[in-house]
Amino acid sequence: MALSFKLLDSVFLSRRCHRQNALHPLLGPLLTDCISKLYSSYRRPGTSPDNTPPWKMNFSFEKGVDVIKKNFGLLKKELVDHWKGPEGYHFDEYLLQQTRVVWEFRSQKDLDEWVVSSDAEIGGKSETYLKLGKNNQTALLYGTLSTEVPRDGETRYSGYCSMKTKLPKGAFGTKKYYDWSNFNSLYLRIRGDGRPWMINIYTNPYFSHQKDDLYNYFMFTRGGPYWQEIKIPFSKFFLSSRGRIQDEQYPLWLDKISTVGFTLGDKADGPFQLEIDFIGLLKDRAHTEEFAYEKYEKNPQA
Amino acid sequence: MNPYTSVIITLSLIMGPLLTMSSNHWIMAWTGLEISTLAIIPLIAKQHHPRAIEAATKYFLTQATASTLILFSSIMNAWTLGQWDITQMSNNTPCMILTTALAIKLGLAPFHFWLPEVLQGTTTMTALILTTWQKLAPLSLLVMTSQSLNTPLMLTLGLTSTLIGGWYGLNQTQLRKIMASSSIAHLGWMTTILTLSPKLTLLTFYTYIIMTSTTFLMIKTLETNMISVMMTSWTKLPTLNTMMMLTLMSLAGLPPLTGFTPKWLILQELTKQHMFIMAAAMALISLLSLFFYLRISYYTTITLPPNSTNYLQQWRHKTNKKLYLATMTTLSITLLPITPTLLTIP
Repeated sequence: MALSFKLLDSVFLSRRCHRQNALHPLLGPLLTDCISKLYSSYRRPGTSPDNTPPWKMNFSFEKGVDVIKKNFGLLKKELVDHWKGPEGYHFDEYLLQQTRVVWEFRSQKDLDEWVVSSDAEIGGKSETYLKLGKNNQTALLYGTLSTEVPRDGETRYSGYCSMKTKLPKGAFGTKKYYDWSNFNSLYLRIRGDGRPWMINIYTNPYFSHQKDDLYNYFMFTRGGPYWQEIKIPFSKFFLSSRGRIQDEQYPLWLDKISTVGFTLGDKADGPFQLEIDFIGLLKDRAHTEEFAYEKYEKNPQA
Repeated sequence: MNPYTSVIITLSLIMGPLLTMSSNHWIMAWTGLEISTLAIIPLIAKQHHPRAIEAATKYFLTQATASTLILFSSIMNAWTLGQWDITQMSNNTPCMILTTALAIKLGLAPFHFWLPEVLQGTTTMTALILTTWQKLAPLSLLVMTSQSLNTPLMLTLGLTSTLIGGWYGLNQTQLRKIMASSSIAHLGWMTTILTLSPKLTLLTFYTYIIMTSTTFLMIKTLETNMISVMMTSWTKLPTLNTMMMLTLMSLAGLPPLTGFTPKWLILQELTKQHMFIMAAAMALISLLSLFFYLRISYYTTITLPPNSTNYLQQWRHKTNKKLYLATMTTLSITLLPITPTLLTIP
């Protein structure tokens, strides 16, 4: 089945580049700019749909060879890491870990793992920037939020900024996941400006029906010069799909996590700033809750 | 679940493989396979968790594809030979397609990708049904057509499955995924000896069912799903802990436990057929599986206090000792001395 997806993907190619979770077996490495129309590509509201025919491609042989070399290198690394242990750690070390720092910001390379976006994509007026903080010890996400709605006739709300990790990819563009099943809380050391943020965890499901499923929770920043250490248990995350909180709530399964992101959308115009020292995981033994939300029967019989 | 629904599902689930096993006509065999596939889909997706739905969808797609291929190969066979008898397959393209289809059904490498994901997405009991009962029908078809199947292909599938089953389980911490890799490896052993001695395939299958069911029932009794949780579950039932270690060693195929019987007899048969390299390769590759079984036993049984663990001491609920678990544990550990009797089972 994965092979049929790969073949479909190599057929639907176009100019703009925005790779999703797909694989270009034969032509992929040779193409410079490519789009995957497998998960229907994003069309900015108010623009006409893109109808460039698939045979208009740009070939680049050197880039193709580089990509092939890089992928085989990644494959070799994956095989060696598999021999070493889960997630690259030795098995004993992996099992007994109680804390783990997953993302910290010490260089531009660390910043490159993150993608910053805002409503400028849909024509809004918010601005978001990400840079390294003082002494290259932190990441600073800053900008201006603007709730002015873009005048395209379709959009009704605006005013959001977000930062999320790139989808982890293995060799040949395969999906890679983090296994955080040994931990039960997210640990963040941040310094905000009093604004409420939302943390989104994406599990990158196999089928596209669930591609909008996201697990969210809130992060309330205090503001002020002191660092804030926030522990959010994974049992608190609730399931939403395309921004709508689902009636049927299920706990977040930690064995296949893909990306973590922060979103600001508190309908307050003005500048914002969030400084992140590191993002880590914690096994809080005092936290024994499995899931924070109960399912109540809808339409109960009296 | 609604009692009417559970009755229908249970009856269909029981009837499906029985229909396949007792049929001579390809259409009836295919019907039985479809019934069992459709019956277990609601069981896999019972909880409606996104991962359970994903597991159910993956299971359905792979099994439906395999059923289609089985139907296609049987129709092709009927086209060329003019009859629908399962045991009278001709030795060409239909056999190849049938082998591929049954490999997909069983989860043999290189068609094994669905098995760990599906087992991980469901509950323990459904995983037990998937690895034991659902394998009856395809394996019975393999045994019925074994005289027409291509021996080098079966040997390749078997060796690859054993290798991949061992390799995949090396880094797993989730017990259901480990059992999936154990299933792939055991099916590899069964496939290797299929064309040479179908009786040994069946013997391996019976012992595999007993050992796997025992392991799954132990996992269910201890209510654990990860190795890190197993480290502190000895408090619940200390005797079960010890028996679990022995059952895992039996799964690994260590003498003097039951699991050694099929491996020994298969190696003997391979040697009789002058396939020394194959026998040596199978024996060496099963060391990979032994490694992760040993690892589970170590973390379950040997890491007792004062070793550091990464899970809280668990509450001891009312111990629900089940007689069938004791019986199955005994069977999965002590059957080696009656190997001559086991050889007489058809």
